[in-house]
Amino acid sequence: MLRYALRRVPSALLVLAIASVVVFGVLHLAPGDPAVLAAGPDASARTVAVVRHQLGLDASLPRQYLSWLGGVLTGDLGDSYVRGVPVATLIGNGLGNTLELTLGAIVLAVLLGGPAGLVLGVAKGRLIRGATAAATALAFAIPPYVSGVLLVMVFAITHRILPAGGHISLTADPELGVQYLIMPALALALPAAAVLARFLSTSIRRVFDEDYIRIGTAKGLRRRRIVLCHALPNALPPVLTVLGIQIGQMLGGAIVVEAIFAWPGVGQLIIDSLKSSDYFVVQNLLLITVTVFVVLQTLTDLLHAAVDPRLRMERA
Amino acid sequence: MTGQRGQPARRTVLAAGLLLGTGPLNTACRSAVAEQQGSGGGPRHGGTLHMVQGTDILPAFLLSQINPNFSVSRTVFNTLTELDHRTLRPRPSLAKSWRVTDGGRTHVFQLRDDVRFHSGRPFGPDDVVFVLDHLTKDTTSSQVKSVAQQVTSAERTGDHEVTVGFGKAVSNVWDMFEMMVMIDRESVTDLASGREIIGTGPFTVESYKPGSSISLKRNRHYWKPGRPYLDGIEIAIAAQSSTAVASLRSGQTHLALDLSPLDAAGIRDRPGFRLVQSDAHDLTYYIGANVKVPPLDKVEVRQAVAWAVDRQRVLAQALGGIGRPSSLPWSPASAAWDPDRAAAYTLDPEKAKRLLRQAGAAGATVDLYYSNTLATNAAIAQIVQANLEDIGLTCRLRPKQDAEYQKLFVSGKIPGLFVNGHGFGQLTPSTLVKGAWPFNAQQNASNFRDPEYSRLAEEIWTGKGDALTAAYRDLNELLLREQFVIDLINSTHTYAIQASLQGLAWTMYDGIDLDNAYLA
Repeated sequence: MLRYALRRVPSALLVLAIASVVVFGVLHLAPGDPAVLAAGPDASARTVAVVRHQLGLDASLPRQYLSWLGGVLTGDLGDSYVRGVPVATLIGNGLGNTLELTLGAIVLAVLLGGPAGLVLGVAKGRLIRGATAAATALAFAIPPYVSGVLLVMVFAITHRILPAGGHISLTADPELGVQYLIMPALALALPAAAVLARFLSTSIRRVFDEDYIRIGTAKGLRRRRIVLCHALPNALPPVLTVLGIQIGQMLGGAIVVEAIFAWPGVGQLIIDSLKSSDYFVVQNLLLITVTVFVVLQTLTDLLHAAVDPRLRMERA
Repeated sequence: MTGQRGQPARRTVLAAGLLLGTGPLNTACRSAVAEQQGSGGGPRHGGTLHMVQGTDILPAFLLSQINPNFSVSRTVFNTLTELDHRTLRPRPSLAKSWRVTDGGRTHVFQLRDDVRFHSGRPFGPDDVVFVLDHLTKDTTSSQVKSVAQQVTSAERTGDHEVTVGFGKAVSNVWDMFEMMVMIDRESVTDLASGREIIGTGPFTVESYKPGSSISLKRNRHYWKPGRPYLDGIEIAIAAQSSTAVASLRSGQTHLALDLSPLDAAGIRDRPGFRLVQSDAHDLTYYIGANVKVPPLDKVEVRQAVAWAVDRQRVLAQALGGIGRPSSLPWSPASAAWDPDRAAAYTLDPEKAKRLLRQAGAAGATVDLYYSNTLATNAAIAQIVQANLEDIGLTCRLRPKQDAEYQKLFVSGKIPGLFVNGHGFGQLTPSTLVKGAWPFNAQQNASNFRDPEYSRLAEEIWTGKGDALTAAYRDLNELLLREQFVIDLINSTHTYAIQASLQGLAWTMYDGIDLDNAYLA
């Protein structure tokens, strides 16, 4: 197993090396000049040249690449060209906020999608099932940038119950923080909740066709007990897989929601940095994303190999 | 087993649901919205002002005039003097008084002796000397650097006195002192990154989260007795103008900066809100023309464009009616303002067509560039395109990502027309032709160079009396004739506020002044 794990490392490193070259190259081919922005408004050509030199942007591209890579490998991500702030600080702040938003959305997606799926799967009343089906269809159909605006209109402008945007960390002030979190998390959660509900209902109905459920019914078990103690636990595993996929989609969707609710997460950071050609920030963010993906992929492969010895043998 | 595990799980789920879903509805809880409401009444101490702006502050550019810093340049910092909005003469601030001698070449300032930086260190003459020196550095960004470069000596001449000598007397010295915020020399290396933002102003920086928010706290040792009224200021960043509007309308925010003109106009008539327009009128929208690119190298073509644009339509449809049509860069307070000449170009498609024929450019094609991140500029570009098509010019819109647009703009390599906005028309005219890139007489975004223009720029920088008046007149004629910058609308910065915010003020360079602000 150890040998198998060690064999996976070089390919993971190769992928990361290629990714770093691609990320660096693509961003430096993009139009715009960070030195112009870093030099400030109405800067003279001389000032721009001095700033370009100071930032090392007048060096050859291979030299800039190696300098950046050297920094990354030694834990120095450099400073933002435009803001002058360490990139690690910017990414650290943004990442924490995005995770907070995504976790809130996951909780809401489960809270909303779980019961809805249960109703769709087991409820006998046509009215309640029809209403739930319509609600999930609506939640799935409305994209977060629309539901976000609607939520703001209703709960922030018309009724003034919740703040329209902004962010207070849950760790800094849980009571106020949760109020800032509800609407963006809800906008992000609704489509995922709808997907969860649909998958859960399908899964439950499939389980209801199993013999052990029929036996339970024949033995006179109460329907509530059958649903909660037998059908639901057995219907959940495939739904958890779907939830995992939805989490990935929510992380992507967070960019839009962050913009609507002025939520200072990674999505906002990427957009701001791209607008201002702040290459260092974008480069590092993309490389971190690729690294996370490669590490997860490698861990998954190792996990598969651990539970299935044939895999190790095949790839030996 | 499953059922036993299931029961507590359901309770947990319900509790979490209640916490997430109904927490804010519980009247016993604190409300994020209610915490930002004023309590009514007249001037009073206390309260936190909530402000929202479109982009993050950029502390590295505090010595420049840039929009993102308007929220901190006068709340955290002070300047030696402040220009009176009516007379445009300097008023005391950190300098109590001053003497100007030697034909305007020597300025002796008596400084206040009761001013401390937020770090506790006393403010003194050495700080003024430091900032003047810092202004001239290559890496320091400032539009008044050319003035600072005229300083030949700056020295402490007393415990609270500093003497500044200039190589020659220039007309926009007070513009420089208005923009020259007193940054702390001991923490200047940490200023650009925002790790230490230390001034002498009414508020201290409590915390700064780059890209997210800035928290300011009342400076209890502020040199103005009893000021400021407010306990603090919370500044949030909202990149979307619509988000800022929603925040304002929800009662969460008291003051929104940088709203797009159409969003700002939407606030104007709503009860409970006010749209305050700055009297600086320091925002002029224009079309620039690269005079090296055919057919714009012919002055008749540039004039034809000036006659073709429907300024009234631009004002109504792109700027929500905020501003006035103008063919000159100056605002009415400027010494170079001339109302007749400002109305020189109006909509006259026939005249424009004649000029195009005269130049042999009828049916020619021009490209029109603009930054696609600025909705106002995009709206103006579309109107201009339609107007140019009306006179027989084929106009191709060339929206560019902001970074690319800025690169082209600064390098003077925009191959055609470009839509943009400029400032510096509100104060001393020489600051425009010496410091603003669209007009800079030495080198500018349009690549327009002309000995007469350079001479006039120098004349209005150093001239006096009748000669100066004549130079303003000649400069206006040159600008109207050459049309390398085709001014369209003289507008202004707006502040969208809740009616509860009283005492809002600003400097002539648009820094928010909250010394006397309070929440009624």
